[in-house]
Amino acid sequence: MANRRLLVKRLKAVRNIRKITRTMELIATSRFKKAMDRAAEAAEYTRKISEIVGDLGRANLKFSHPLLEKRTEEKKSILLVLTSNRGLCGGYNASVLRQTVAHIRGLKEKGIEYSIEVSGKRGIKFMNFQKIAYAQSYTHFEDQPKFEEVEALAGRYVQDYIAGRIDRLDVAYTRFVSSSKQFAVVESLLPIASLGGTAGAKTEAEVDYEFLPSAQEILAEIVPAAFRAKLFKCFLDAAVSEQIARMVAMKGATENADEMAGSLKQQYNRARQAGITSELAEIIGGAAALE
Amino acid sequence: MADLSLVLVTPERTLFDKPVASIRVPLFDGSAGFYPGRAPLVGRLGLGELRLTDSSGAAESYFIDGGFVQVKGSVVSVLTNGATPVGEISRKAAAVKIDEAKANRAKSDEEFAVAARRLEKARKMLALAGKD
Repeated sequence: MANRRLLVKRLKAVRNIRKITRTMELIATSRFKKAMDRAAEAAEYTRKISEIVGDLGRANLKFSHPLLEKRTEEKKSILLVLTSNRGLCGGYNASVLRQTVAHIRGLKEKGIEYSIEVSGKRGIKFMNFQKIAYAQSYTHFEDQPKFEEVEALAGRYVQDYIAGRIDRLDVAYTRFVSSSKQFAVVESLLPIASLGGTAGAKTEAEVDYEFLPSAQEILAEIVPAAFRAKLFKCFLDAAVSEQIARMVAMKGATENADEMAGSLKQQYNRARQAGITSELAEIIGGAAALE
Repeated sequence: MADLSLVLVTPERTLFDKPVASIRVPLFDGSAGFYPGRAPLVGRLGLGELRLTDSSGAAESYFIDGGFVQVKGSVVSVLTNGATPVGEISRKAAAVKIDEAKANRAKSDEEFAVAARRLEKARKMLALAGKD
């Protein structure tokens, strides 16, 4: 029976797909754990930086740094979009890109010039398809972004901002809140809105620090460091969120495949039984005709 | 006040978090040493060797790439962009880095600053590698 053979074929195909999605789910899970550990380690650095900033804040210091100043007139901006290199991760890229498009529309309305930088093959494909021009593209940020690579980017942005070539920097990425909550955002990283660390630090006992060379010079150095750490955190968040998105998507796919295999198996069994019944009926009918 | 501990963190991970007997760090203008009971301090680091001795007297060295040091109570926190255990630096690799840094012709002031920094870093790495 052609129908039956067809069902067997489909069943096999579905089972194969299930194997693949299941494996991808497991891989994503282990990568997610690794990425998560890295993010946790990086959080330590950020925490220390904000602690020092908090200490500086108590040193009767006026916080002034070119990166902290908001320009009165925003003319040029850079939008960095962080997407993944690989697909099959549910709505991960789509939601980042949706935010991006909405943000671009906002920039256009305000008349701010923008240049777009995209990281990740999926984002690049989208930009090409939508015919949105982008200035730079990166594909070397995988699920474990290196600080050196991010630092190179950050250094360029800092120089551009100080030199006045850009008035703001926005990053579109997926923020990681908890393992069950991530959402796409467009965040403004330059000018730096707050360095953090001032809140909650007041409860600690006051420590009278000695600053070498001086509080002002340490501030001049720590502001770019805080920015680099922030940008790095965006990349780490994006990497963790990507793995979670893939994990969830693949889990869903595996469950669907299970369901489909079940219903195909049932159809196949029915078809088989129908075949047997009709064969029996033929034999009985034939025997009855001979009598 | 007889204890001192060092926390060495880079943006990627925490490399070291243990009690030590003494620490020497490269500040922006020279070395600084810390013993237990050091007054609170926040300082800017330069390039060079971070050397620590633990209670048994064994020494350990890292090459660190700028950053900050914070002394608060008995904890010394070192925040740096990159730290490599000195044992992992090879003379050859450092020499190659010097050549690379020299080969790059800087065209602007910014590029020159970057190139000079790279050269300095490579030279200090080579100096450290030479000891072992």
